[in-house]
Amino acid sequence: MRWKKIFSLYFPLGTILLFLLFPFYWTFVTSIKPEDELYGSTVTYWPKELTLASYQKLFGEFNFLLPMWNSFLVATITTFVTLFVSTLAAYSFTRYEFKGKGLLMGLFLTNNMFPNVLLLIPLFAIMRSFDLLYTPMSLVMAYATFTIPFSVWMLTGYLKDLPNALEEAAMIDGANRAIAFIKVILPVLTPSIVATGVYIFIQSWNEYTFAVLFTNEATRTIPVTLKNLIGQLGVQWDLLTAGGIITIIPVCIMFFFAQKKLIEGMTAGSVKG
Amino acid sequence: MRRKKINLWPYLLVLPALLIVTFVVFIPVIEAIFMSFQSYDLRRPDKIAYLGFKNFAEMFSDPIFWLAFKNTIIWVVFGVGLQFLFGFILALLLNQSFRGRGMIRAVSLIPWATPGVLIGLMWKWIYDGNYGVLNDLLIKLGLIDQGITFLSQTSTAFGSVIVTIIWQGIPFFAIMILAGLQVISQEMYEAADIDGASKLQKLFHITIPSLKNVIIITILLRIIWVSNSVDIIHNMTGGGPSYSTQTLSVYIFNKATVLDLGYSSSMALFLMFMLAMVAVPYLKNAFKER
Amino acid sequence: MMKKLIALMFILALSVLLVACVSNHNSTSNQDTDNSEDGTSTETEQEETQSDEEEEVELTYWYWADNSEYSNLMQDIIAEFNQTNDKGITVIGEEYPWDGGGYSETLFTAGVGGGGPDVAAFKLTSTPLFTANDLLVNLDDYINNWKDKADIEENLYDIMKSASGTENLYVMPWNTQILYMYYRPSIFEKAGVDVPTTYEELLTAIEKTTMDTDGDGNTDIYGFGMRGATGGQEPWGSFIHARGGDFKNMTSEEAIQGMQDFIDIYENGYAPPSATTDGFNEIIANFKSGRTAMTVHHTGSSAEMVETFGDDVSAFPFPEGVGQWTSMGDTNNVIFESTEHKEAAFEWVSYLATGKGQEDWTIATGNVPVSTRVQEMDHFQNDKFMKASIEGVPFAGILPIKDTTTEWISTVWPNTTASALLGDITAEEAMQQLHESLHEE
Repeated sequence: MRWKKIFSLYFPLGTILLFLLFPFYWTFVTSIKPEDELYGSTVTYWPKELTLASYQKLFGEFNFLLPMWNSFLVATITTFVTLFVSTLAAYSFTRYEFKGKGLLMGLFLTNNMFPNVLLLIPLFAIMRSFDLLYTPMSLVMAYATFTIPFSVWMLTGYLKDLPNALEEAAMIDGANRAIAFIKVILPVLTPSIVATGVYIFIQSWNEYTFAVLFTNEATRTIPVTLKNLIGQLGVQWDLLTAGGIITIIPVCIMFFFAQKKLIEGMTAGSVKG
Repeated sequence: MRRKKINLWPYLLVLPALLIVTFVVFIPVIEAIFMSFQSYDLRRPDKIAYLGFKNFAEMFSDPIFWLAFKNTIIWVVFGVGLQFLFGFILALLLNQSFRGRGMIRAVSLIPWATPGVLIGLMWKWIYDGNYGVLNDLLIKLGLIDQGITFLSQTSTAFGSVIVTIIWQGIPFFAIMILAGLQVISQEMYEAADIDGASKLQKLFHITIPSLKNVIIITILLRIIWVSNSVDIIHNMTGGGPSYSTQTLSVYIFNKATVLDLGYSSSMALFLMFMLAMVAVPYLKNAFKER
Repeated sequence: MMKKLIALMFILALSVLLVACVSNHNSTSNQDTDNSEDGTSTETEQEETQSDEEEEVELTYWYWADNSEYSNLMQDIIAEFNQTNDKGITVIGEEYPWDGGGYSETLFTAGVGGGGPDVAAFKLTSTPLFTANDLLVNLDDYINNWKDKADIEENLYDIMKSASGTENLYVMPWNTQILYMYYRPSIFEKAGVDVPTTYEELLTAIEKTTMDTDGDGNTDIYGFGMRGATGGQEPWGSFIHARGGDFKNMTSEEAIQGMQDFIDIYENGYAPPSATTDGFNEIIANFKSGRTAMTVHHTGSSAEMVETFGDDVSAFPFPEGVGQWTSMGDTNNVIFESTEHKEAAFEWVSYLATGKGQEDWTIATGNVPVSTRVQEMDHFQNDKFMKASIEGVPFAGILPIKDTTTEWISTVWPNTTASALLGDITAEEAMQQLHESLHEE
């Protein structure tokens, strides 16, 4: 039994994790290496001389907390706004038949197919006319361009896999649609909403192209600040990798708590196939 | 009540999402469509004029365009295909119970949580022919005796960037499929256990069919996302050497950043059309059977 | 419950519309005024008690920093200017990522979108794009009435003018970088070569300094740290000119010969195999780790070279063959047509060009000053790298600046050259393609 578990779980899991985590490890090692070791004649897998100077610098003179706060603000608002409007739309797409449904769904899909770089100039003008330039709201709006279409489709997929019988049973019992949705569907859908929310959060947390254009010094988000470390005279590896590590960790901690919700749907237990 | 008159509910429920998207995407997309029929090159604003299909004609006779198109297909097929395969396996593994599962789930998200700015640079650094850790490992294992310059040769550059996008996308599929797995009723597995079904039988007869829509949609959304992704290639190779890693989206990006918006819009429309050709039949098939 | 849900949704939809209307209204009411305007008016009231004639102005200044020290340096210069100028000007510095040249696109997008800065740091290659869209202020009158006009050499103004394709000056000089060859005296000694004085000698030196030092059959030191990624066109141009070619006609036999030399260096293994994609980081890393004997760059990297090697690094100007040429890099400033404070903006760019800002910036960054007054300071006269730069000035030049130049630099040159280096196309085919795409009308 133990051997079986090693082959069916630990070995494949270990292999995939090694691939997924090695670059992260390497980023971390780079962030604590002194520079002369970086370009040394031998590659070292753990620094001979360990330095935390880059982290001190990042939070000391560099004030990395401001962009972190800005990214957090933008990502959180985007996540909630997107999840709210997308869940409504996805519910509509899966539980109703109506004229123009295919067209509307297609509209959301094609929106996702258009390259961001071509949206920049028109979006900039739109943001300006709404007086949103250089505010966090402009990023929330810009990120909606790709998070809403994505989330609508993603949630439509999850809702479609949820049998209609569930809520129909509740509605026969006298509950109206809204109650059936909140009491029956929402608990079961929680894992899917969490997963979609994670997607939205990460995309908004890491986006660069819009962020560089729609923010200024006061509203800068993390990716722009990190990119500032790559000048014409080279990459500041120490600060860049340290900043990268600092960027990744909060997301992982958040997900550590969020993933508990991923199993809650199951324990809600009301699903009948 | 619902049968008698036109039901407004579905429309009202879609409205908020639609409103936001209309303002921020729909208007720019319409503008781009107009641009694609013009010589809309902001480097030469005096010469902007209606061109008809000339941009498209130029595109079809542009060898770099066709190379980029071919690269896009390879990029998407291998990129998304292997992301899905490993992501699916990872989801199944992470769905089993073992000690420290929460931790492992959280850390397996790392590639996806890494800022795009850093991904390209970090992988470039790993692949580096002189100081890169990959070459060092290969040399230590005795597989090669001199560093390979992975990103500098046309034969290895594209494969190398594809590995990077696979790395980045595995957690996406893992998380999305993991969420889908929670919706499947335990009772179905229990019933199958009573019938003495093997693990593989359960996988193909219960798990995959139950996840059908999620799988279809995640793959489709990922195809769209990957075919439009620019930052990894842009940061690792910029499309070179000699255009060997230039996909359509990178070509569009490069043309758009030098402000030849007409030509890049034409290519963007072409890409959109190709994606729609993939998406529409795929979805029709998928949703019909219910 | 359903009603509540719907009500909630309606409120949301309405508020979206409302916000849209309100902000639309706002933006029409103060159209054509800058974001900074609100701040200015209140401050003016406060300051009025102090001086009645002086008007407080606020300028937004965009720049990029090549590392975080330069970023702090710029903030210090701005702070000092804000304190010392007697015209009530407050500059607000906004740092933007260089992003491999993406800076210029960001600046342009903001400019055409009507949300750009008042003043910005600028690269000459972008001039045609910005002037074609009428974004920049014509500086002719300002320069002609400027007390420091003569402090900057006439030929520099001419270069700035030629970049716009007009007779007018839109770009204010700030600092330049003249490329020269870095070399390692110790490697030269080991290989038994002297500092090359002719192009032929340079080619020989590149060959001879390529060495297998530990006798394992693999090259350990490459003669030339070649740059094949974006930016490599600058050292490459020196090879083309050394054979007597030029940028006007890149298909001449001489130019093709120059390209052939470039290819030979790579094919013969005198340059690292990664040269096809090596950019700035790689050539400097290779040089600093002792993997290459020579590489082309400017004074911007001299400080770190000295830090690594002490005395074991020196410089010589790119030597003369049939012709001689080296690339002059540039960093300048521009004033946007949309600014309301052109006079104040000129005050700021001239502070950077010839004032205290010029001294502070060039001394700390090691860039070549444009102000002749600053050039004559001891700091610049006693530096061996600065000397190599200044020796290069007589034959320094720039790529022809056309509206195609940016694309040519960022994608055409690197990809075409990589194809030629990897043997997919011949030197002649490569030069043909390079010529056509730069001079395309």
